Amino acid sequence: MDELLQALAQGFLVGSTYGLLALGMGLIYSVSGLVNFAHGDFFSLGMYLCFALFSAFALDPYVSLVITLPAMMLIGAGVYQFLIRPIAGHHLLMVIQLTLGLALLVQNGILMVFGGQFERTPSIVESKLVLLGPVVVRMPHVIACLASFGIAAALYVLLRSTDWGRAIRSVHQNAKAAALMGIDVGRVRMLTFAAGLGLLAIAAALIVPGTPMHPSLGLRYTVITLIVMVLGGMTNFVGIMLAGLVIGISEALGTIYLSDMLGMLMPYLIFVVIMLLRPQGLLKAA
Amino acid sequence: MLEVHGLTAGYGGNPVLEDVRIEIGRGKLVGLLGANNAGKSTFINCLSGVVPASSGRILFEGEDITRLSPKSRVERGIIQVPEGRLVFPDMSVRENLLLGGVNATARPRRAERIDYVLDLLPRLKERIGQAAGTLSGGEQQMLAIGRGLVAEPRLLMLDEPSLGLAPRFVQYVFEIIDKLHADGLTVLLVEQNLNLTLRHSDYCYVLERGRVVVEGVSAHVKDDPRTKSAYLGL
Amino acid sequence: MKSEFFTVLRSPVFWGAIILLALGPFVLPSYYLHIATLTLIYIALASSWNIVGGIGGQISLAHSLFVGTGAVLSSALLLKLGINMWLGMVIAALVSGLMGAIISFIDFRFRLGHLSFALITLAFAEMGEIIVIGTEALGGASGLFLPKDKGDLLAFQFGSGAGIFWVMLTLAVGAILINLAVLNLPLGFYLRTIRDNEAAAQAIGVNILRNKTIAMVISAMFTSVIGTAYARYLTFVDPYQLASPVLTVEIVLIATVGGLGKAFGPALGAVLLIPLGEILRGKLGGSLPGLHYFVYGAVVIAVILATPRGLLPALQSRLASWRGSAKSEAKKPSIAAPGA
Ligand SMILES: Nc1ncnc2c1ncn2[C@@H]1O[C@H](COP(=O)(O)OP(=O)(O)OP(=O)(O)O)[C@@H](O)[C@H]1O
Ligand SMILES: [Mg+2]
Repeated sequence: MDELLQALAQGFLVGSTYGLLALGMGLIYSVSGLVNFAHGDFFSLGMYLCFALFSAFALDPYVSLVITLPAMMLIGAGVYQFLIRPIAGHHLLMVIQLTLGLALLVQNGILMVFGGQFERTPSIVESKLVLLGPVVVRMPHVIACLASFGIAAALYVLLRSTDWGRAIRSVHQNAKAAALMGIDVGRVRMLTFAAGLGLLAIAAALIVPGTPMHPSLGLRYTVITLIVMVLGGMTNFVGIMLAGLVIGISEALGTIYLSDMLGMLMPYLIFVVIMLLRPQGLLKAA
Repeated sequence: MLEVHGLTAGYGGNPVLEDVRIEIGRGKLVGLLGANNAGKSTFINCLSGVVPASSGRILFEGEDITRLSPKSRVERGIIQVPEGRLVFPDMSVRENLLLGGVNATARPRRAERIDYVLDLLPRLKERIGQAAGTLSGGEQQMLAIGRGLVAEPRLLMLDEPSLGLAPRFVQYVFEIIDKLHADGLTVLLVEQNLNLTLRHSDYCYVLERGRVVVEGVSAHVKDDPRTKSAYLGL
Repeated sequence: MKSEFFTVLRSPVFWGAIILLALGPFVLPSYYLHIATLTLIYIALASSWNIVGGIGGQISLAHSLFVGTGAVLSSALLLKLGINMWLGMVIAALVSGLMGAIISFIDFRFRLGHLSFALITLAFAEMGEIIVIGTEALGGASGLFLPKDKGDLLAFQFGSGAGIFWVMLTLAVGAILINLAVLNLPLGFYLRTIRDNEAAAQAIGVNILRNKTIAMVISAMFTSVIGTAYARYLTFVDPYQLASPVLTVEIVLIATVGGLGKAFGPALGAVLLIPLGEILRGKLGGSLPGLHYFVYGAVVIAVILATPRGLLPALQSRLASWRGSAKSEAKKPSIAAPGA
């Protein structure tokens, strides 16, 4: 019983960060219809930036966000403006291939700078444990989970009830009509891409404490993120957070009750099954 | 108020508009007629700046706006109600109206404008919370016009507002246009509906294959044999 | 265009080039022979993928599954059960073909769009890697070591160097010829119709399931065979290399750079990228691991931005217009705007 609770708690905490990763991708998808296959590698980049700042200046990951957040947003704006925008009108497959190329570029850029060994970035809160009844969880996980839900809620409100959010949604629903409202569509797309990478910087700072990282893990993060986003219904932010939890919990349960391998397979299996039976995602698209 | 000189435009090297010259005086209701594919929407999109002009000049109140972005034109009060309504389907009526006034010029008085629009188009008030995509075609056209009005237009350009509407609704749309016109708004009305447009407008242009073939006071355009031929594509 | 297959088959240039290449092992120093062999492997892989991804227009990200099956399954059968690797190769190819057919069926049955297809195949590929790494019988995370290649043909050994080079040459030529054949068979016509407009293809009575499945099965089986040969060449069967989705990404990008849907496009991509990558890795790989992939990524992005349809079509139209202007103004080069 305790084991079950432990697994559920662990899965819940990890799942919420999956949700956060997918929010960034969902945000980008919602205005540009663009699926970024380099997403996980940009997330890696965010983690390695934390690592570099820790190595150089002993900055705690939570503090280094002051630098990594604007840095990642700037990178995002540049990538959109110079790489993605020029081929925006082309076939979806073209954009997929471009972002696959980008994934290779970022992943191996990291490899070149940081080398191919596993690294860890510590944080002051890293080894703190939190007791919730019979369940023991690590402090960084709790922080990450609370922050993820906080950000998801903030984003939800922002998109629902501010002009900025309405502008984003209008570009998604009809770009031409949005332009006729006096919305600068190119700018909205660029800023959203930047915001998507900014969310990744936040996710990186939240997840990095104590998490082993390796340059080659980017693609796997991309796949998990894609799975969560698709299960959540692409642009439905409530659905995305829910899907993150489903994936996180199923992974944790699988690892405990079946085997390591089956635990790792669980997200993919769930993905394939739900994709086939409910292609519109867990919830109806918003 | 608006002067267009020698406007040429097209898509990917295929010219659609050639040397179009049009003038719209302040407070006038000007009609732009033409058969399918004549280039009416292309013209109106050029005025909005979403289709670039390859040559020619567009002057709005004396200012050359040919190279301005769509955003700057909206801020100057050049507002288009597009063909096919293009409401934001997954947003409520209220959100659609809010987006109409999202530009910097209209933003400060947006709330009052929305009240005005809801008084003008009471049907929208009943549907205020409903998703725009679930409205009927006629209601969507009301919303598209309302959304344009929230933007505080100085020149309102309507692209085929009667398209696909039941006669009752067509009548209603033209009544509203008349009312706006009577209140002093400058309107460019793009239509295929020849008789109705000629009856309601002050002045008319007839476009055929990207060129203005007839222009004049609406009563004269009506009797011009070239108008009919432009329509039948002879 | 219609008889391009036979034109190439009858072309002395084509066969001359192959004979010239076949002489490679006699003149190339072993390092360059290695690069040449690797290039041939990737020509074969990218060309096989092209049948589905290029001609059929379906971005399959599952091909590491087939390479992995060809490499890992046949090696495991040999090492754990003592099954001859030729037989292992056939078994692996059949398994790959079956997986390909299942993927096609799922695609058809659930009417996946482009994006969903890419995602589902990627999910399958990730699952494949996780399964191989988690299964001791398949070598697990530490991989499998094949016995030394003593040149015993009956045991799927070709002798290091020249022998395996010729095998790879055969596979590469085979893959290109299959592409040409598919392009010139009704199958190719149907596939292109489906790629350009699936609904319209269906409306004129093209059997979508059948054609897509045939393409996928051919591609999967041939890829699997290449995988077996690749394992033999490497001797060390590393799941992180041969069953990793990154391998698929590499294949897709090579084909994209060269030109999707063209018989020689993927080959061009491989000829440009693999030697470049290998030489970079050889010269700087020690100090800068990852540099060659970094350069791949950069080249891919540059090519997509510069000529979205790939290098081969760009070169061809360049050549055509150059020829056109060289032959005086007698005939205008016929690059009419499409769909005018
Ligand atoms: N986005 C576009 N890209 C390419 N060609 C276009 C585009 N929009 C319109 N055209 C072409 O330009 C020509 C004029 O089209 P336009 O929409 O301006 O005509 P219209 O007079 O508004 O017709 P309708 O009454 O049917 O709305 C047509 O031949 C059309 O095919
Ligand atoms: Mg039109």
